[in-house]
Amino acid sequence: MTRTKAWSIKHGLLLGGGLALVGLLLQFLLGPIDWQLISWPVNVYLLLFFVMLVVALHLMRGAFYPVRWLTSLPAAIGVLLWITAITLVMGLVKQLPSTQPPADALGITRMLSFWPFVLLYGWLALSLALVVLQRLLSFKWRNVPFLLLHGGILVSLLTATLGSADMQRMKLITTVGATEWRAYNQQEEMVELPIAVELNRFIMEQYDDGSPKRYASDVNIYTKSGNNFHATVDVNKPIKVDGWKIYQYGYDTAAGPESRISILELVSDPWLPAVYAGIAMMLAGAFTLLFISRKIKED
Amino acid sequence: MDWNHFIIYAFAAIVCWIAGAVLAWKSSRRLWPNVLTLLGLGIFFSFIVGMWVSLERPPLRTMGETRLWYSFFLPMVGLVVYNRWRYKWILSFSTLMAVVFICINIFKPEIHNKTLMPALQSAWFAPHVIVYMFAYALLGAAFVMVLYLLLRKSKPITAQEMDMTDNLVRVGLAFMTFGMLFGALWAKEAWGHYWAWDPKETWAAITWMAYLAYLHYRHYAPSKVRPALILLIVCFVFLQMCWWGINYLPSAQGSSVHTYSLN
Repeated sequence: MTRTKAWSIKHGLLLGGGLALVGLLLQFLLGPIDWQLISWPVNVYLLLFFVMLVVALHLMRGAFYPVRWLTSLPAAIGVLLWITAITLVMGLVKQLPSTQPPADALGITRMLSFWPFVLLYGWLALSLALVVLQRLLSFKWRNVPFLLLHGGILVSLLTATLGSADMQRMKLITTVGATEWRAYNQQEEMVELPIAVELNRFIMEQYDDGSPKRYASDVNIYTKSGNNFHATVDVNKPIKVDGWKIYQYGYDTAAGPESRISILELVSDPWLPAVYAGIAMMLAGAFTLLFISRKIKED
Repeated sequence: MDWNHFIIYAFAAIVCWIAGAVLAWKSSRRLWPNVLTLLGLGIFFSFIVGMWVSLERPPLRTMGETRLWYSFFLPMVGLVVYNRWRYKWILSFSTLMAVVFICINIFKPEIHNKTLMPALQSAWFAPHVIVYMFAYALLGAAFVMVLYLLLRKSKPITAQEMDMTDNLVRVGLAFMTFGMLFGALWAKEAWGHYWAWDPKETWAAITWMAYLAYLHYRHYAPSKVRPALILLIVCFVFLQMCWWGINYLPSAQGSSVHTYSLN
């Protein structure tokens, strides 16, 4: 850290305030963020752009103090305080589903599409990426826990956000004895799937007080690729077919065990392995934190 | 074993814990405080196991059941701190906190029936909640330490005392990270998505990031103790909000899939 020009936490709070203001301006000019716009392949270009930005900033770090500062502790504290604060607002204001427009003038009832929220998390990603790159280039074994924790958060945050536009969630309403391949997407539009589901039987067990103990669907699955099989879909036990996971979602609750329909949810999330890689890194990092906790301070 | 037996087991455990805490003050030998606290933990845990067997499911569903684990983990964390840092007073505080939570369970028991909704029937259920409760107990101990340090006027706060606080937070945060990520992996299997910004998840993120801010701040300015301790109080308020406060928060009503005790 340069002694002559050491920026403190105050500068971090100022930067966050600046980002929040820019975000408000963008919110006013462009409206809430439409995440569908970044679906494949735009999200891949965005990821490449982010990587190039990080590399470019890293190369400038010697000549440009603010870039060095972004990887410093006061910057980390500043961004953590800001994202805690903006997430706190999210926790205190009732959120609307992504299919509805915000119910307030600012847009904080749809926080995930609120520009200041996204810009502040963007700063988190940028700071993390710069610090991870820096420590990767000057690799030391004792930095492995640091890299796992910071890198894990970075990988999960980036891929979960960019991949959210490629995630598909469909509700498929099956009736006993019928085969169904049309489902409703999150915008409530009916779409045709490459998978058809035939409901043989809806299974339901109850406790003595009538509350559900188990509900499941006995189904035949037919796919366009010719992958046909018989399966039981239980709550907490989704089945996998051609990149989709099929979940037991619901049934006709008025009819209970006599329900003639079963609602299944089909989910496709192509970015999931990358998100899970980040989660695995974080888990490993948290594990090392238990053992080396006292050594970090001497760093 | 049913909930009516709780008062007997709780009373026996409390007697052991209080005796252990008193002996920790009285003598510098650590044998009896250890034996008595462990005995109390054994008695209390046998009740938890008994409930687990008789309910035919892990007793982790209702708020009352999570308080059960919390009251169990508090003296356990207290004992670890007592042995590691030799603080005489920690067992008194951990016992006091455990007694408070036991009293809540005696005076306001929530329905503990056998039903376990299908969404909770998963191998992830026990690790997710137990790890979280353990993290909450560690961070509860850190909070007690903060109150002790801020209210004590007789002598200045030492670096060693701050070290102990930081270690409690660091280990607590590691367990909180496990709990949160186990939750994410489970949510993918149960609800189709690993993170849905459900109110409980939003508050878990707030709590997690606030504790991260504390650790980074400690690293940045180790000598500035008071702002750090005040930040830690704020963190603990967030934690309480995440654990039970959101049940009373207007913005979280009707939209959380994490409510299992209020049906």
